[in-house]
Amino acid sequence: MRIGVFICHCGSNIGGTVDCAKVAETASHYPDVAYVDDPMYTCAEPGQAAIEEAIKKERLDGVVVASCTPRMHEPTFRKTVERAGLNPYMFEMANIREHVSWIGKDKEANTNKAAELVLMAVEKLRHNRPLVPKSFDITKKVLIIGGGVAGIQAALDCAEGGVPVILVEREATIGGKMAKLDKTFPTVDCSACILGPKMVDVAQHPLITLYAYSEVEDISGYVGNFNVKIRKKTPYVDWSKCTGCGACTEKCPSKNTPDSFNELMGKTTAITIAFPQAIPKKAVINAPYCRKLQSGKCGVCAKICPTGAINYTMEDEIISEDVGSIIAATGYDLVDWSVYEEYGGGKYPDVITALAYERLLNASGPTGGHIKRPSDGKEPKNIVFIQCVGSRDRSIGRPYCSAFCCMYTAKQAVLTKDHLPDSQSHIFYMDIRAAGKLYDEFTRRAMEEYGTNYIRGRVSAVYPDGNGQYVVMGADTLLGEPIEIKADLVVLSVGIEASAGAPALAEKLRISYDSYGFFMESHVKLKPVETNTAGVFLAGCCQGPKDIPASVAQGSAAAAKVLDLFSHEKLQSNPQIANVDILRCVDCKKCIMCCPFGAIEEVSVRGVNKAQVIETVCQGCGICVATCPQGAIQLSHSTDNQILAEVNALCQS
Amino acid sequence: MPVLKDKELRIVGFLCNWCSYGGADTAGVARATQPTDLRIIRVPCTGRVDPLFVLKALFGGADGVLVSGCHPRDCHYSVGNYYARRRLEVIKRFLPILGIDDRRFEYTWVSASEGQRWQEVVTDFTARIHKLGQAPRLADASPMLKIAELALSSLHALGSNLSAPLDELKAAIKAKLPDLECVIGWQKGYDGAHAVPLFMKTPEDVDKLIWGPLNVMNPAVYLPDFKGRKIGIVVKGCDSRSVVELLQEKLINREDVTIFSLPCEGTLDMGRVNEKLGRYTKIDKVNFDEASVYITADGKEHRFCITEYAQGKCYGCVTPGAVLADVVFGKPVPVSPGKFTPPELAMLDSMSLEERMGFWKAQMDRCIRCYACRNACPMCVCRDYCISDSRNPHWLDQEATPENKLFFQTIHAVHLAGRCTGCGECQRACPVGIPILALRQHIARTVSELFDEYKSGMNQNAVPPLLTYATEEKNIHERDL
Amino acid sequence: MSKIRFVKKEDLAGFLAYLRQRDITVLAPVEKPSASKSAIVFAPWEKGMPVLLAKATVSPKNAVLPECEALFTFRQTREENNGEMDFSENINGKPTVVFGCRPCDARGFAAFDKPFLSGIYPDPYYKAKRDGLTVISLTCNSGCETCFCHWVGGGPTSPIGSDVLMTEIEEGFVLQVMTPRGQTLMNATSHYDGTDRFGKVDALRKAAWTSLVPAPNIMDAPAKLAEAFNDIEFWHEMTDRCLSCGACTYFCPTCYCFNITDEGEAQSKKGGRRLRSWDNCMSSLYTREASGHNPRTRKAQRMRNRVSHKFWTFPENWGTFLCSGCGRCITNCPVCLDIREIVVAAINRKSAQ
Repeated sequence: MRIGVFICHCGSNIGGTVDCAKVAETASHYPDVAYVDDPMYTCAEPGQAAIEEAIKKERLDGVVVASCTPRMHEPTFRKTVERAGLNPYMFEMANIREHVSWIGKDKEANTNKAAELVLMAVEKLRHNRPLVPKSFDITKKVLIIGGGVAGIQAALDCAEGGVPVILVEREATIGGKMAKLDKTFPTVDCSACILGPKMVDVAQHPLITLYAYSEVEDISGYVGNFNVKIRKKTPYVDWSKCTGCGACTEKCPSKNTPDSFNELMGKTTAITIAFPQAIPKKAVINAPYCRKLQSGKCGVCAKICPTGAINYTMEDEIISEDVGSIIAATGYDLVDWSVYEEYGGGKYPDVITALAYERLLNASGPTGGHIKRPSDGKEPKNIVFIQCVGSRDRSIGRPYCSAFCCMYTAKQAVLTKDHLPDSQSHIFYMDIRAAGKLYDEFTRRAMEEYGTNYIRGRVSAVYPDGNGQYVVMGADTLLGEPIEIKADLVVLSVGIEASAGAPALAEKLRISYDSYGFFMESHVKLKPVETNTAGVFLAGCCQGPKDIPASVAQGSAAAAKVLDLFSHEKLQSNPQIANVDILRCVDCKKCIMCCPFGAIEEVSVRGVNKAQVIETVCQGCGICVATCPQGAIQLSHSTDNQILAEVNALCQS
Repeated sequence: MPVLKDKELRIVGFLCNWCSYGGADTAGVARATQPTDLRIIRVPCTGRVDPLFVLKALFGGADGVLVSGCHPRDCHYSVGNYYARRRLEVIKRFLPILGIDDRRFEYTWVSASEGQRWQEVVTDFTARIHKLGQAPRLADASPMLKIAELALSSLHALGSNLSAPLDELKAAIKAKLPDLECVIGWQKGYDGAHAVPLFMKTPEDVDKLIWGPLNVMNPAVYLPDFKGRKIGIVVKGCDSRSVVELLQEKLINREDVTIFSLPCEGTLDMGRVNEKLGRYTKIDKVNFDEASVYITADGKEHRFCITEYAQGKCYGCVTPGAVLADVVFGKPVPVSPGKFTPPELAMLDSMSLEERMGFWKAQMDRCIRCYACRNACPMCVCRDYCISDSRNPHWLDQEATPENKLFFQTIHAVHLAGRCTGCGECQRACPVGIPILALRQHIARTVSELFDEYKSGMNQNAVPPLLTYATEEKNIHERDL
Repeated sequence: MSKIRFVKKEDLAGFLAYLRQRDITVLAPVEKPSASKSAIVFAPWEKGMPVLLAKATVSPKNAVLPECEALFTFRQTREENNGEMDFSENINGKPTVVFGCRPCDARGFAAFDKPFLSGIYPDPYYKAKRDGLTVISLTCNSGCETCFCHWVGGGPTSPIGSDVLMTEIEEGFVLQVMTPRGQTLMNATSHYDGTDRFGKVDALRKAAWTSLVPAPNIMDAPAKLAEAFNDIEFWHEMTDRCLSCGACTYFCPTCYCFNITDEGEAQSKKGGRRLRSWDNCMSSLYTREASGHNPRTRKAQRMRNRVSHKFWTFPENWGTFLCSGCGRCITNCPVCLDIREIVVAAINRKSAQ
């Protein structure tokens, strides 16, 4: 082998504390090293050109560059050597900047260390093999899980881009949390007015297939070729016949069914259509409250239905779909705030969540848009909003900020004043976080134009005073005084967490999630939409708290990623994957047991079972390699022999 | 490459590409000054770090080894560090039995954003290694020539199990034989004092079957070769654990194997028996009573009281009867469970680190790499493809050094971690009597401590603990570093 | 000088010390302590160590065919020397005495000489060691259950391969010079003439022979093994309990198969080493070809090779069994596989026709 070694000075970044010329001289005596150089800036155009020239002139078949971290320029130099005709994997980097020159000033020690790191790279390179990616076909269809605003946006953008969309929504209607909102900050425009048309577009778009009241049961496959099993939960209504006329909901005798769409602020019937603008506008029977399904006696809806759509014996249905990419947009749930005993833990009817308050504000809500408190239906005069209930609270394991509560609380205070001009809103806050276009202006308006009483401090207790009001005891930390307010209604800005079932879905998607259940993006800053599983993207609050504009933006971003992916005729697999030496494999199955991606299968080779890596599924983690006792499975570019070469370069007494 | 004399020690780091390598980069970008000793090897994931790399570095003269990866839950591959956490914890606890100070190896979690933490980790770990100084080398260790006697004590009465209903068993085997390709058991060997495996294919073969303390060999070792064929096996309690472990790992199918068993009251340590018998031309007779075997050789009678001459493993046996069997006869042998340290392990426990290194140096010196230990092991699945004699991967060269020989033993022990049932065949098979079982026993004890008293080969549905993971580990605690 | 010497029991250590003083490496049985059973190996003997005369656990073949030896080292020089290879051969002929091995062990050296030293290309590495080697063996006073030297043309007092044959008598040891090499060694010593004690020795040696269980006649083993070659069922039956480890071959004084590997790098400072190490025909690796094909994948095939080599093809080529009957393959086998049984079974095998 003929190896070229380039020791980069990186100006004075490396050259200042490493004797690069000496490292180059030392490296010239390393095995198989045929050429050394110590350029000033290797990554600059002349530096790269020099590498290309050396490869051609010196007939090099491998290159080591000692410079900055490979996480920065490994892709750059791989392209450089490829341009000169080498396989991009016949290249190694030694990190002598971040790991040497920048962390110490002892030039002798640095020079020695740099030389050793170069030796390790050379020894590894001597075991490198050219790697060639394989290409495979893509199913150009996308699955979007979650029909909230993020999922809707992603679905519309994908469909407009010409990609068929499978949209799966757990509830009977799409719209998500946004559909429950009355108005939206900072413009105070009607949520239904801006979301509604998008929902209709989803229903009408020829490329979008909507599975509402459905959940993802199982996902197998890999980027470009996923297979998804979708469970269509039975609504006991044949939706192909249901016209959404609502006759059933009017006649249903079971009128005491909790109304989850209205955040339990009212009652509804056992057969319901969530709200007038629901998409799809189809009826669903809430089985535990249906008399027919529970006791067999009733059947009113079936009698009344003009199209005969009611079917009490209907069962769940499993549908299989092949897709090439998946967007997870499963949104959020409210933190279980009943842990806060000091706020009544859910015992007081007039201590409600902000989302429930949205329903009270909403014209199509249980009170027809009139603010009436749940206990006695009276209009409240004094309303206390408590922020950060379940946000920024280490004691309940929710140390993060829920990102949009400051804004909606300001909005609700504004709306409250609009609805009840005589009312007074008080807001207990920790900090006001209004970083967004027009946001700070909006909170200023809430304070200055609407006279909202902002109190910086926490509430220590809420309890009924016995006369129909609630005593809110808190502290004003700006004044340094305790404060007590008599409230008719207390609205809690309850923080958010990943929606129930997110971790289970993450396991199916084989993506990671953090300790709160939020899905992990590939890189916090630079890859906020991608996940570590190729072909799976994120949109909306499933990735972390964000408001509507951010959710919409991420929905569009995820769609752009899908369109980017599908712009390729074929996909190329990363060649840095595991592969099995079938001679050595003894079919002990340990790799199969340990692979987190299900990327290893058993195949019969001339009558003998052997492990085989599914190239497109393998992510290259190498757990299998560390597991295989006979060394039969090896990770290309991180083989045992390559790592041993590095170890032996350092440790051979 | 020489380490800078008197200035640096040899410290090797294995860092995952996604978190800790990035964390080290972050530290560099922040110009966070660090000691210069550490040399970093970039790996995709801590899950890729075969614990044997750690040992390879330490055997090769590293003074310290550090593995660092993503924090639990943050693994780029979701679960790689969960596997790593288990395996690296086991290896850390394994080091002292070899005579290596476990402080020389550490694993920790540093994210890509934790540059400052990385600086602290490197600084602290380097300081720790400098405090420990240069690592003692096996090559320089003074061989330990005086070996203490094994302290033998018994949890349950050991005996010859004269009352075992062998005839009933033979009848049962004969009845099943038509459905089976063969049934593996024991027969008289080249003389009456030695028993060897028996492959029963005919009723006449079944008549050769013997039972008693001479049946030392574990017949489970043959089972994987018969996978997919109907076969029977006669087992002692310890052998049955090997069968169960093979089932756990799906190396054999339950429906293919018919398990016959009689209770066992202990088996002889043939090494010591042969030593006492010495050179003889003929075994005249072998007799048993409840407690002993009487072997008459060249007219001289030798008494071997089982309680005195049993294999070390028998003294703490809690499975004198089969853990899993289809056909069982005989009264179960009572056991009183309790904490028990096998005598070989107790011997090593009582030594200092330095003594242990000297011990292994002296012991490994006579190993001739016949690999009888490996081939007699029922759990050695690799069979003809052991990494000890392969070029790709090339873990070991052929030099006959104690380092290479001990490294092979560590390969075997590490590969058996969480899988070894302690049957002791490795040690029994060793023709030169190296007490290698202690290494496996130590790892088994570690696994048991870490994973809720887990014992391999007890439950055919259990997953061996190092082939799985838990997101929260009850008994593995993060160390400050 | 006399060919028969006498050494008093208490003088034996002095005799060995004298050899050491002359800078002769003495490989003698040394007990290696262990927790359960100890092992006796041939190791360099130094003054102060006890003199052990028990039959060793291992054979002394290390003296001429080490478990692993570097035949030569190689290093590629830099461009300035046109990138040539530097070789440094490791031909070591240091004077060595193997002391206290048994006639069966000594016979191993005689067996090795045939393939290693015959013909126009004697093995130089072997030859150097062999030329420096003098073998002093101790005759056995009795047989042993697992010994069968007398089956294969040897015996408890056989001189084959020994330069000096030593017999223990009541008051000491009588050393009988058997070869010029033995004579040279003994000439340098001033031990008593033992001629007058040779009568006792002769009687003891005869007694040793009579203590043996009569051996079966295995002279037609080569022909019978040739016949059995294609009866693979026979071989399966013979080897059902074999574990395919290397104990039988590595402990055998006559097994000489070796493997050659290159370790290290020609380009590295240390250079590369060409190693010769013991190989083992019971291992599947032994015949695995570079393509991955293996003509002997099954233990029956491998055992057939081992037994056939020892009792058929080697005798055919070299006129003697490649087995000295030491019985180590039986005692050291983890499953006590008995090569005698296989040979006898092959002889008694009823041919398929």
